[in-house]
Amino acid sequence: MMQFRLEKRREPSRFMLYATPVAAVALTMIIGAVIFSVIGYDGIGAVREIFLTPLTNSFKWQDLGVKAAPLIIIGVGLSIAYRANVWNIGAEGQYIMGGLAATWVALASHGAGGWWTLPAMMLAGMAGGAAYGAIPALLKTRLNVNEILTSLMLTYASVQLIYYLVRAPWKDPMGMGFPQTRRFASEALLPNIFPGTIVHAGVPIAIIVALIAWFIMSRSVFGYQMRVVGAAPHAARYGGFSENKTIWLAMLVSGGLAGLAGMLEVAGPFQRMVPGFPTNYGFTAIIVAFLGRLNPLGVIFAGIVMAITFVGGEVAQTTIGLSNSATGVFQAMMLFFLLAGDILVRYRLKRVVPQVEAGA
Amino acid sequence: MPNRLELSGITKQFPGVLANDHVSFAVKPGEIHALLGENGAGKSTLVKMIYGIMQPDGGEIRWNGEPVVVPNPKAARRLGIGMVFQHFSLFEALTVLENIALGMDAKIPSRELEARIREVMQTYGLLLDPHRTVATLSVGERQRIEIVRALLLNPKLLIMDEPTSVLTPQEVDQLFTVLRQLASEGCSILYISHKLHEIKALCDTATILRGGKLVDTCDPKAETSRSMAEKMIGTGLKDIIKPEGRRFGEPKLVVNGLTTRKTGDFDVPVADVSFTVRSGEILGIAGVAGNGQNALLDALSGELKGEEREAISIDGRAIGLMDTTERRRHGLCAVPEERNGHAAVGDFSLSDNSVLTARDRLGMVVLGLINSGAAKTYTGKVIADFAVKALGPAATAGSLSGGNLQKYIMGREILQKPTVLVVSQPTWGVDAGAAAAIHQALVDLATAGSAIVVISQDLDELRALSDTLAVINMGRLSASRPIGDFSVEEIGLLMGGVHGEEAA
Repeated sequence: MMQFRLEKRREPSRFMLYATPVAAVALTMIIGAVIFSVIGYDGIGAVREIFLTPLTNSFKWQDLGVKAAPLIIIGVGLSIAYRANVWNIGAEGQYIMGGLAATWVALASHGAGGWWTLPAMMLAGMAGGAAYGAIPALLKTRLNVNEILTSLMLTYASVQLIYYLVRAPWKDPMGMGFPQTRRFASEALLPNIFPGTIVHAGVPIAIIVALIAWFIMSRSVFGYQMRVVGAAPHAARYGGFSENKTIWLAMLVSGGLAGLAGMLEVAGPFQRMVPGFPTNYGFTAIIVAFLGRLNPLGVIFAGIVMAITFVGGEVAQTTIGLSNSATGVFQAMMLFFLLAGDILVRYRLKRVVPQVEAGA
Repeated sequence: MPNRLELSGITKQFPGVLANDHVSFAVKPGEIHALLGENGAGKSTLVKMIYGIMQPDGGEIRWNGEPVVVPNPKAARRLGIGMVFQHFSLFEALTVLENIALGMDAKIPSRELEARIREVMQTYGLLLDPHRTVATLSVGERQRIEIVRALLLNPKLLIMDEPTSVLTPQEVDQLFTVLRQLASEGCSILYISHKLHEIKALCDTATILRGGKLVDTCDPKAETSRSMAEKMIGTGLKDIIKPEGRRFGEPKLVVNGLTTRKTGDFDVPVADVSFTVRSGEILGIAGVAGNGQNALLDALSGELKGEEREAISIDGRAIGLMDTTERRRHGLCAVPEERNGHAAVGDFSLSDNSVLTARDRLGMVVLGLINSGAAKTYTGKVIADFAVKALGPAATAGSLSGGNLQKYIMGREILQKPTVLVVSQPTWGVDAGAAAAIHQALVDLATAGSAIVVISQDLDELRALSDTLAVINMGRLSASRPIGDFSVEEIGLLMGGVHGEEAA
């Protein structure tokens, strides 16, 4: 029998570290084409529609921007938390709470708003997301409860909260019984950047957020603290960085950014709070963060790649009748190949020399 | 009679470094053969290939005259090769017997195994209760488990990797008795160590490696420690220069009734520790590993939260409640024993590692932003002043050899000119050349007026370095006295004496 063993490389190659995400995307396209061909679809067509049409069809570019913006903002927050080994899996819940907090500001100021409405909604959105992220932080630092579980479970609680709010207290009185809030007043809606498109102010905000985060992570003591706590917690303590403080910071920042994304979505594409507000951006952003190498600049590109699969998935639905779940399959494959590639960057696969019976 | 083990032309290439370059030597039956060399000379790689953990890229291993391939450690054990590692692989919560049973290739009923263990222990005088939990054992006793585990397989060659680095002098003597008895029964021993006087006392032959190449195979009894050390590092060895007639100044560090809480199940806290270190003085703290040294270092550095303001003071200022960062600002720097992951971050560049402890004292942070230029300049100075072999400030800490990383870490702290420097095991696993450089740097720092505490298990080091000495045992510290007042035997007794069962 042939045996293999993983042997740690002395120093992973820098080039491979950045080549892996590209290779993961390429492998996803190849294997995806094979799989969908085998199960009876036009595999090559599927890959073309999902990965290439959104890029070649300039009509789709605005969709890309709108889809990528929340993914980038949430992904940037998660990449900061994950650097510190704080596993916030509940960005979806923090995104929802940010959206709800912003909705509250929009509804409360309806008819009395002004230039300050959007900034107030932004602050409320970040505060809402951060506050929701604070719960796992509190449980982790006080009672050592695993933040993966708490942040994930809180997501489901936040979904129920939307259902409750849009069915009772916040229901649009003129909405003919639909479970949704009224459309926000114009002061509470994001302006369009390019007239005639759907590109809203959230798109440039996403880029700015990523650039600021990159600068902070690479240059500031805050970024250093996140990196050192994640890389070597013991050394961090020796260097004078408190682990609990880091957990708080990581949860508040990643929660706050997810909340900001929630605000931008509800004040942008949705224009009101609806039960369909949770769109899994918070979960997809986990893949974005890893695909972007937990680097805010990488997250911009990763966000765009994921947006391509979303937009392309919709295209493929109409053009070749591919189910919407196919998008999920492609996204999952990408994460799988990325993680597998990461192992091979850090370790080499070594064939174990066949057992020669040592002549005893 | 053929040689027990014969290596010819063994070569092993790692990315960027030739770890072994055509190494050839032979070990005769019943011979105690020393393998000497600096850190990174290729000793570990070589024995890993003999024990089947790695495969050579070239060359031949002969076992009793027959060429063999050793695909894995299991095959090595089947040939009759046993190995005792420097770092033990024992489960602290399990008993001696359970630990040995877990490591056996063949399943043996525990009663039968216990009988065999007792027999081996009896034969070699390795006394140990098989039903004791490992957590309650001293390091010397833990090592005995590993030796018993190896001896159960009736090895024809026993590889010992740095076996005495954690033992008291008495335990070292006991170990040598066992090894000599084994050798007299025909078992060959490959003994890896830095301690040249031990090699002179114990070994029949010594093979010296430098930079992956074999430098010499010699008779250690015909050599001096100095001549072997010089072969090892390739140049002349420097002695520590202690200026004559040094006088100590004002008390710099005063510790008064320092007590820590137990933090983990197997962690030894310190109780009511008091001592004073004056300007210009080096205080050595001797002790067998696991007697509260870690708690003492963490309590002094501030990693372990203090509870009493007056328990520690520097220059008359009580700092017992301050955190690590504040203590550093007040002039107290510390170097923990573990280099990788504690004193330094392996994945970070050296420059980033300088930010870890030097950022406040040297103004590397302005308005929350890191001045990476200042960090780089300082790191460059550390590399130059301490002759650290590294590609530059951008090299990752993990890419440095143990000795070079330690030189960097010591340099990083010493060049901050701390009022008080506390170091644990400053030359653990560091080659003779680097150790001499580190020792000299510590003496120079003291001469310049700092107070230094050196926590170490290496008595030779403490005797060469310290002005005063205290011994830690079970978390309690003896009174400190001038180093000249102690004999080795007395230190040894203080180190191990309280363990009642040790004498058995």
